[in-house]
Amino acid sequence: MLTFAIKLGAAAVLTVLLSAVLLAVRISDGLDSMSVRNGDWVTSVATGSKDAGVILKATVALGGLLASTQENSMYYRLSTVDGEPLRLQCRYRIEGDDYDADWWSITAYGWDNYLIPNPQKRYSFNNENLVRNADGSWAITVAASKQAGNWLPVGPSGAADWRKPGDYDFDLLLRLYTPGDAYLRAPQSAALPTVTLEACQ
Amino acid sequence: MKLLKWFAGISVCAWAGQYLLALFIPNLMMEVLYAVGTRQFGSNHLTVSPLPDETFRSVVRPSPDLLYASCIYNLENGPIEIEAPIPPRYWSMQFYQMNTDNYAGITNQRDERNRVGTVATVTLISEDDSPQNYTGEVIQSPTERGMILLRASAIGDRSQQQAALAASRCGPAG
Repeated sequence: MLTFAIKLGAAAVLTVLLSAVLLAVRISDGLDSMSVRNGDWVTSVATGSKDAGVILKATVALGGLLASTQENSMYYRLSTVDGEPLRLQCRYRIEGDDYDADWWSITAYGWDNYLIPNPQKRYSFNNENLVRNADGSWAITVAASKQAGNWLPVGPSGAADWRKPGDYDFDLLLRLYTPGDAYLRAPQSAALPTVTLEACQ
Repeated sequence: MKLLKWFAGISVCAWAGQYLLALFIPNLMMEVLYAVGTRQFGSNHLTVSPLPDETFRSVVRPSPDLLYASCIYNLENGPIEIEAPIPPRYWSMQFYQMNTDNYAGITNQRDERNRVGTVATVTLISEDDSPQNYTGEVIQSPTERGMILLRASAIGDRSQQQAALAASRCGPAG
């Protein structure tokens, strides 16, 4: 009887541990059945809503608590380029135009989900503070070292490395406030900035 | 064979267990936010945050392009009233229940652009209270506790947005 109780206890502990591992994998993946991919960007049509599934709600609670519903703002996250996680030793180029929203911004976050410490105190660019080309288009360079033009600095996150949950060193979040119909109806194909890998050290 | 049965049992329970754990996380995160927030600022009180930078750690993924003000609410002692002057440019007041659902919100965007320059006055009541007992804009909270978040654009000259948040209030109704 005692042996059975010990076995049952061990099985319960194993079950909880395995549940936690499975959930951690699902959350680090950041995807669920209501997630939509648009190139390398990923969004969820149910963020903040009561219709969100349990995994999405857990993901948002850990990585985007107090997100609002898509009618107010849409969030597209990018943590990989062509399947490769964003790395601090690489330089990336974001290119784009204007988007159908009241306003929009692109912010870099460390893997710990907070703004990345940098001496320039530059954490994002928005539709008004970008230096643009004559035709209105723009490019942002994302890199740890100083760059000409619109430079979005990245660097180590503020948290200890052992807590790092995934492969990526940082990610990018595109926020579209009061997005237009194209984003609400076809988030998988609406116009978004393109992100390319330029070089790695 | 016995070992295989144990393995199968653990696998099935663990698969279901991840969903149970996931159900628990949003409430846990909100409880932590609620506890920390009420300890620092109290409940039914509006707190204006400084413009987020790398030191801003109270909520994950703060936007450096937004000004925030928050009110952790508790309707145990009756409804609360939120008054907020509405500035130009983007502004919103979002309501969150304790499982993180954004159950209501008002903004100065879309069809509500005419709100700019006015004062939004919202009475927040509990689910067992009746909206018919109140006049004006009434929102019913699905849970007795929760959080209200005011967001205002910090793009360009933000003096009007800062002044609007500073003049906003959250407190017992009446």
